[in-house]
Amino acid sequence: MWDDYLFPHSVKEALDMLEARGADVRIIAGGTDLALQRQGGRNPATVMVDITRISGLERIEERDGYIHVGARVTHAQVAASPLIRSRAGVLAEACGSVGGPQIRNVGTLVGNVVNALPAADGAIGLTALDAQAEVAERTGRRWTPISDLYAGVGRCTVDSCQAMITQLRFKALGDGEGDAFERLAKRKALILPILNAAVVVGVDGGAVKSARIAIGPVATKPFVATDAAEWLIGQAPDAAAAANAAKLAAQTAEPRYSLLRGSAEYRKSMVEVLVRRALTRALALASGEGGGHADS
Amino acid sequence: MSTRVLGQNVPKKDAATKVRGSRRFPQDFDMKGQLHAKVIWSEHPHAHVVKIDTSRAEALPGVVKVITAEDVSVNEYGIIIQDQHVLAGEGDRVRWLGDRIAIVVAESEKVAREARRLVEVEYDPLPVVSDPREAMKPEAPLVHEERGDSNVFRHIKIQKGDWEKGFAEADVVVESYYVTPYVEHVYMQPDAGIGYIDDEGRVTVISSAQWPDHDQRQIAPMLDLPQDQTREIVPAIGGAFGGREDMHVQHLLALCAYCVRRPVKMVFDRNEVMIRTGKRHPWYVKYRTGARKDGTLTAVEMEIISDSGAYASTTVPVLEAGTSFAAGPYVVPNAKVDSYAVYTNNAVTMAMRGFGTTQSAFIYEMQMSKLADALDMDPVELRMKNLFQDGSIGLTGHEMPQGVGIGETLKEVALAAGWKEERGRWSKPDLGAASGPHKRRGMAVACGLKNVGYSFGSDDKATVGVQLALDESGEIARVTVLSGACDVGMGAQTFLAQMAAEALGVSYDQVRVAMVDTAKVPDSGSCSASRLVWISGNALVRACQEALERRDQILLAETGETFVETEHEFHGRSVHETHPYDPETGMTVPHFAYGYAAQVALVEVDAETGETEILKFWAAQDVGKSVNPAMIDGQSAGGVHMGVGYALTEEYIQQEGVPKTRHLADYYVPTVMDMPLEFTSITVEVPDPSGPYGAKGIGEMTTLPTAPAVISAIHDAAGVWIDQFPATAERVWWAMQAKK
Amino acid sequence: MPTLEMILNGKEVSVEVEPGDLLAHVLREKLGLIGTKISCGEGECGSCTVLVDGFTVTSCIYPAMKAHGREVTTIEGLAKGSQLHPIQQAFVDVTAPQCGYCIPGMVMSAKALLDENPHPTQEEIRMGISGNICRCTGYYQIVEAIELAAQRMAEEGGAP
Ligand code: FES
Ligand code: FES
Repeated sequence: MWDDYLFPHSVKEALDMLEARGADVRIIAGGTDLALQRQGGRNPATVMVDITRISGLERIEERDGYIHVGARVTHAQVAASPLIRSRAGVLAEACGSVGGPQIRNVGTLVGNVVNALPAADGAIGLTALDAQAEVAERTGRRWTPISDLYAGVGRCTVDSCQAMITQLRFKALGDGEGDAFERLAKRKALILPILNAAVVVGVDGGAVKSARIAIGPVATKPFVATDAAEWLIGQAPDAAAAANAAKLAAQTAEPRYSLLRGSAEYRKSMVEVLVRRALTRALALASGEGGGHADS
Repeated sequence: MSTRVLGQNVPKKDAATKVRGSRRFPQDFDMKGQLHAKVIWSEHPHAHVVKIDTSRAEALPGVVKVITAEDVSVNEYGIIIQDQHVLAGEGDRVRWLGDRIAIVVAESEKVAREARRLVEVEYDPLPVVSDPREAMKPEAPLVHEERGDSNVFRHIKIQKGDWEKGFAEADVVVESYYVTPYVEHVYMQPDAGIGYIDDEGRVTVISSAQWPDHDQRQIAPMLDLPQDQTREIVPAIGGAFGGREDMHVQHLLALCAYCVRRPVKMVFDRNEVMIRTGKRHPWYVKYRTGARKDGTLTAVEMEIISDSGAYASTTVPVLEAGTSFAAGPYVVPNAKVDSYAVYTNNAVTMAMRGFGTTQSAFIYEMQMSKLADALDMDPVELRMKNLFQDGSIGLTGHEMPQGVGIGETLKEVALAAGWKEERGRWSKPDLGAASGPHKRRGMAVACGLKNVGYSFGSDDKATVGVQLALDESGEIARVTVLSGACDVGMGAQTFLAQMAAEALGVSYDQVRVAMVDTAKVPDSGSCSASRLVWISGNALVRACQEALERRDQILLAETGETFVETEHEFHGRSVHETHPYDPETGMTVPHFAYGYAAQVALVEVDAETGETEILKFWAAQDVGKSVNPAMIDGQSAGGVHMGVGYALTEEYIQQEGVPKTRHLADYYVPTVMDMPLEFTSITVEVPDPSGPYGAKGIGEMTTLPTAPAVISAIHDAAGVWIDQFPATAERVWWAMQAKK
Repeated sequence: MPTLEMILNGKEVSVEVEPGDLLAHVLREKLGLIGTKISCGEGECGSCTVLVDGFTVTSCIYPAMKAHGREVTTIEGLAKGSQLHPIQQAFVDVTAPQCGYCIPGMVMSAKALLDENPHPTQEEIRMGISGNICRCTGYYQIVEAIELAAQRMAEEGGAP
């Protein structure tokens, strides 16, 4: 059970609270996972520092060529944000498929990263966008690639008992760039995925000039298919390229057997399907062909 | 028959309180001075209980009592066979994770929860029997050593005609092996209730039961009390689907109240419902069907193995019902069927919407779809050719009584879905273009039928009372219907009120239906077997007629009385007798009455992922007489929803008797997004002369054809038969790989 | 014990809670608002849906203190005396409720949807209740009721 529930009004106050209350304290944002962890006896913290009243953390905005998403921003807000829908559609799609509406109204995108689950849709979208997180500690703030935040399944390198993530940032997509998110699940809503894949590509002069492919849950953290992405560079942005890159991605991804998610063989084959579909859509977008972003 | 109130979409009696949130379900009741109880559940699927130490729990402040086997007068019980312990004591066995060791009763829920962890139980684990096919082997460990030398506790045999000759005459034989899944009811309202001693000293339970009178019959001997010293009140039921035919909290609450003489509340959490309550029976079936080139069925042969889990519950009648329909609504002259009920250490299996006929609908309709495919015949035409009509001879040699509506029902649904008929030749519609390059479209039809009322010689009966309040001129001012018929949500209160209004010539608003309370209303039997419209309706209509006669007498005699009360006990056997299976041939008259459904699914299968999407669905049901069309549409859609989950997503997974799907997060009840965008409900009315105003039951039938329709449509789309379902994307994908 | 202050169904309420209490339990046990139903207790079914500042939340996993200073609406806050809210009335009129256990949560999801989007398409309605599981109805009459409510509310012209 919890002994105290605190509402700091600034990041500094939050960090002071963490410091003052020692080991039993932790940051809570949406709390959608935390409440379950507590019921399952998996989270021993007894003092909650709720950051959802800290002003400044609620913003989604573009600054210095980056889109910034504050720690209070919920999945629903990401999914509905015109800025994100038009300039980072992959993330809007990903956040729009988390849980059900009620969970999306409460759960935060930052929380999706901090919980460090390799199936988290939002985190897969962020990984494809090569996002960074701003970590606030008493010693100061620093930007870290989100891929460095994973210490294992469910374990984040940012300890919610000592520090917090205040915001995320990633480059807004521009002309000649495209993105897409694909997901496979046992039901159409209110469910974690069997697999998900997010891709961001850039095309210039009839050739792929950049690519980033993120896949979950096939490893202890969001998996980045580097070989496939590297192979894509320089290729013509067509269906054959998407298919071949997807094959490479499937070769390197190592989904494991899971009683509820399915066999390794099936999931490996599905990595190929999802990545191919995502790449096909993203390449078409980047090449300025039809489709359009999630909102169009 | 033209009717005044029947056939109208009157507002449901309980709708307003339900939309307001003011309707109280059992967990919404509190009583002064109430205590809270928590169950200590078995930690092993099969073990001896060596030692139970309650001392630490009892020492915890706030704990009032820890109830164990020693506190139960008669510890053996069961809805039909008394093979369960209320509480397993030292020296007893636990046979699944739903067995109970003790109940902690405490001043608060928090303390009860804490105390539950302090009860120490020592077990001596036994080998776990988890596959009924293995359990049938002579060397298998016995789940119930005291009940004979086999885990098989019922073997039903049907031998009709000359099945070998039948197969010899067949031009085509279809042979299959089916596995149907373990399924959880997932009624949304978790089991809960309060036990207390009422003002007249009766041990009383408020809970959401499907059959309160039968609960009393089990509770009274358990406490060594006469039955009239027990009482059950059913204020509202948050879904049941068969899952509340067995007691989950009722007997435990009665025991608590009896032991501590104070009100005791118990509320299950979802985990307890998932892990500790019964499921739908999985079946393992070998099935052969023979037919001539022209589609005429010549023989069926099958072996059905039903996993009963740790206790019998209603397994025997479920298997009896399912077996009696194992050849479907089709005339089959020659048949051999062997059905086995088998104990294992899996979750107890019990009644669930369809009561065994859901499993049989899957197997016989898959056989028919395969046969149509093998004969290259239209699937509607093949079915039409073999379909039951009035007087047809069924699988157990009985004659189908008047009112067989399956032909009409199939015809209506096929036409609605776009089939064309020309002089008996049926042709399937064009399905249109698939929505993408990897999508494949398919369409298929399936039928289903089920009995109404209890079968095989049970004396199915219902008693319903009617009270009339008259005004000075002798007109009926108000009516109260008294019936133990529980409303699980399908609208029992509403259709009883409609029938009473119709029979008495009053308006619907003048009729009130009393809350189910065994101390105040007569026994109407269970809310199950799609029987309420038929049997309670029959009793009610007769009680109303008697009430009118009495009223007329009063008026004639000018007694000035303003109150009339009647009660009618209606017996199903007054329609005709039913009998148990003949032990050798299986021949019998199994059922009183029947209800019918037929459905069509249009699906799209993703050839790359194996995912199935249902695009459109048509559901037709023969209800005899439509009492409330909107409620029927609701039953239709709800039945289909349950069938969609059965077909595609729902699977309760256990390994060595330990469930792996323990949360709603891992057990996939279809959401609204999983349901077809277009759904058409078609109500057919082929009157049943034995039903009130010609009405038949409908509650279960609507779920029967769904899974075979969807899974046959998957074959039509992707060319693969999914004989072990749910047809998850991965299963379909593997089947497609195997075909490549 | 901290004090939770909120505007509950339009009225200021303050109630002593444990820091770890969940909103559903406070509503049901401390405030007697039993219309909020608990089914899974794990955020997986939507039975316990209430509105916080107009947004749906699953109150069974929502820390009660999060509602501090917020506006909370439960199913009890919809009807005006004997007059049902148009959404509730539409549910009655199309015979949407069967067992009724999921219904308060459904009505609350519908309320949030129509407040935000008074003219939803069928697809938007489906999305709006995609976090609410119903085991009885197959959802069609629920979708129909929400369509009917939207239509009636538009005709009345007034804000819901
Ligand atoms: S009870 Fe809260 S989501 Fe199920
Ligand atoms: S009406 Fe019963 S769960 Fe929805």
